[in-house]
Amino acid sequence: MEEYNFALWSSVLILHCSYMIAFAVHLLGSGPFTMKSNFRFLGAIGGVSLVVGYLIWTGVTETMTYYLTPIELINRVEEDPTFHQVGVKVSGRLEKGSWSRDSDELLHYFTVADLEDESVRFSVEYRDILPDTFNDQELQDVVLEGRFREDGVFDATVVLTKCGSRYEATPEELVEDYIE
Amino acid sequence: MIQLGELALHIALPISLMGAVFAFYGGAKRRGDWVLAGELSVYAIFFLLLLTSAGIVVAFLTDRFDYWYVANYSNRELDTYFKVSGLWAGQRGSLVFWVLLLSLFSVIATFSNRLKNREFMPYVVGVLLTVTGFFLLVLLFADVNPFEKLPFAPADGRGLNPQLQNYWMTIHPPTLYLGFTAFTVPFAFAVSALLNGRLDTRWIVITRRWILLSWFFLANGIIFGMRWAYEELGWGGFWFWDPVENASLLPWLTATAFLHSIQIQENRGMLKVWNMGLVVTTFLLTIFATFLTRSGLIESVHTFAENTKIAFIFLGFMGVVAAACIMLIVWRKPLLKSENQIESYLSRESAFLFNNVLFLAAAFAVMFGTLFPLITEGITGQTITVGPPYFNKINLPLGLGLLALMGIGPVIGWRRASRRNLVKNFRMPIVVGLLVALGFYLAGARHGMALVTFGLSAFVMTIIIVEFVKGTKARSRIEGEGHVVAFLHLVGRNRRRWGGYIVHVGVVLVFTAFAGSAFDRELITTLEPGESVTIESPLGHEYELTYQGLSSERGNNLAAKTTALMDVSQDGKPIGTMTAEKRLYLTWEAPVTEVGIRSKFLEDLYLILESVSDLNGAFLNDAKAQRATFEVQVNMLVGWIWYGGLVITLGGLITMWPSRGPQTSSTQEDPRRSSASPTI
Repeated sequence: MEEYNFALWSSVLILHCSYMIAFAVHLLGSGPFTMKSNFRFLGAIGGVSLVVGYLIWTGVTETMTYYLTPIELINRVEEDPTFHQVGVKVSGRLEKGSWSRDSDELLHYFTVADLEDESVRFSVEYRDILPDTFNDQELQDVVLEGRFREDGVFDATVVLTKCGSRYEATPEELVEDYIE
Repeated sequence: MIQLGELALHIALPISLMGAVFAFYGGAKRRGDWVLAGELSVYAIFFLLLLTSAGIVVAFLTDRFDYWYVANYSNRELDTYFKVSGLWAGQRGSLVFWVLLLSLFSVIATFSNRLKNREFMPYVVGVLLTVTGFFLLVLLFADVNPFEKLPFAPADGRGLNPQLQNYWMTIHPPTLYLGFTAFTVPFAFAVSALLNGRLDTRWIVITRRWILLSWFFLANGIIFGMRWAYEELGWGGFWFWDPVENASLLPWLTATAFLHSIQIQENRGMLKVWNMGLVVTTFLLTIFATFLTRSGLIESVHTFAENTKIAFIFLGFMGVVAAACIMLIVWRKPLLKSENQIESYLSRESAFLFNNVLFLAAAFAVMFGTLFPLITEGITGQTITVGPPYFNKINLPLGLGLLALMGIGPVIGWRRASRRNLVKNFRMPIVVGLLVALGFYLAGARHGMALVTFGLSAFVMTIIIVEFVKGTKARSRIEGEGHVVAFLHLVGRNRRRWGGYIVHVGVVLVFTAFAGSAFDRELITTLEPGESVTIESPLGHEYELTYQGLSSERGNNLAAKTTALMDVSQDGKPIGTMTAEKRLYLTWEAPVTEVGIRSKFLEDLYLILESVSDLNGAFLNDAKAQRATFEVQVNMLVGWIWYGGLVITLGGLITMWPSRGPQTSSTQEDPRRSSASPTI
């Protein structure tokens, strides 16, 4: 499924790009501009495009965040300790019963493990409001954003819960509900 | 009734496909009887789809949980209006709802043009029925039939997601869908114009109201969505650059660009290919937004379903439509030649052109950021995401550029603006803008971008006000009317122009509100009953919130609801109470937080019951479980988004209001005569 996703989404993007290029060609060719018409115009539009391109480039390089699994994250920081300073996004599994909080400091603590290898895990500190759906009493996938500190604790700035089937159930799941 | 609805859905498909064939054939062979057959199928399909939708609604109202769709989105205790809104709560129903609205607009377009614009109608009907047919095909053959039955009848349904149990649920999705579907009509006219070769401005004049209507619903739908997200905890405030929010923004951006660029075509006969490209792009983006909302391809707070198969069908459809339209445009290229050339960069057409470049650049940047995780995953195998900072960084300068153009565009002349015109029109607004920015700086506001936004907003507002004052005075002098009468007549005579300015005022208010959020304040604290917390607003008010304790009760569809009560005083004077809740729904395991909002003109006090030391105890009214943690926020100028939305609605209504007598088309106007303040 993943590779299909990529092929199809990139075709959407290529479609979009081709519109932009078609517009540029249109302006240069039979459009409102002829070669003798105002060059300042093309300069100005070219300038806008360059500025936008620059903004996108710097925007991406400054704000891009790696989306990793816990195993990838731990391997990554072993190879390259400076990775401790980089903001990352991690998706893993919340460990049952691992949540606790310090209500004076308003800190939440919990443990997150890799989806495939449960022995790979780290503890997480989070200082904000947890989503309503966060629940350490059942198996739950979470997505964290933040920084993996040198002391092996993940300092999270964003915590999202992910439960794909909670909005819709397949007929089989409904049968199971029914039997229960 | 329910079976009847299902039957109607099955009958509608062949009728739509046959009707499309009839209409296209009748158009090509110039056979009126065939075209009429096509038009009659439009009416028939609307009737059939009404039956289908009624069938679904009846299934919800009568708690028919043997239907998969009802079992998943309803339960016995659900409020009636949420049962009705079940029609668009999930993917399956919303597809039916989408095609119902499309069919409604098809009926209006067909009926209102039954005696006029006949040269366009065969292909218009053909295109509308083809799109309808595609959606019906998907509904019946892509595993999304809303009438799918379960092998047994569960005692109760699984209930509606509590986040959707909000009154905005009954209004936000339909508004957005009205905007999406209304755009199919201009698209159909554009394709029709390409097919029959009438590529002057006729198709634009016919569909102008439709474009405005679609834009109007999209804008309102987006603002309703912002309001909903603002009230709902966990959706990141009024705008979070979530993929689905972005998807609804994309067609709005291109539609806004289109709304402006058609004015260049109407007045100067330029940008014909460009406009065709924009109408096709916007239509494709409405389809894109429709399926992205319900597909789950990109991780989002909105993804309510994970049926990816349907996404590929939709992408395939988009690809076919795009390819067909590009071929048509290339085929008709000779007829799409520009009649004029841009003469000076100091002209209204150039301002509009830059407006288009900026809107398209914004659309491109938003699209790129939304799809970035998938692109990087495909190229490097490593998923890399960009978050809200990326979108803010790019869209802030683009938005400010557009804000500036919003002031410049209306008062700069077509073709070539004279220096005198520029100095006369811009000297005062620039001074006012600078003074306002300076005033805010001296008052202690130290946020650069916010200051620029305030200054530019003042600049634009001054220009619009001056235009209104000048217009009213001129009319009052020439016609000898009082100022109020003159003002009303002024707006009434050229609704498109003055209504447009009013829409601009609304947009300025929304921009100001965005800038205001730079000054938001927040704090988190844990309180025992009787304890209080103070927060100082950026305007210097001191709010003191005194916690009164928790009380718990049972509610409709709720197992328990615990309410925290806060006494609020401003600068020492009591101004009332605020509540924030935790709710436990019958059909939902996790508790749900409801925030408390106290809105004032300039700032909102926003209260979240973050957690209760012993929630189960609190639900049982245990006197010992009263210690609770709160987050208190002061949100600056948020209200201006909603006021701006109201102003946009007012301006939009004025622009679209049907006029008596012959509508003066600006195409008939000689552009050489329109100088400093022409008709738009």
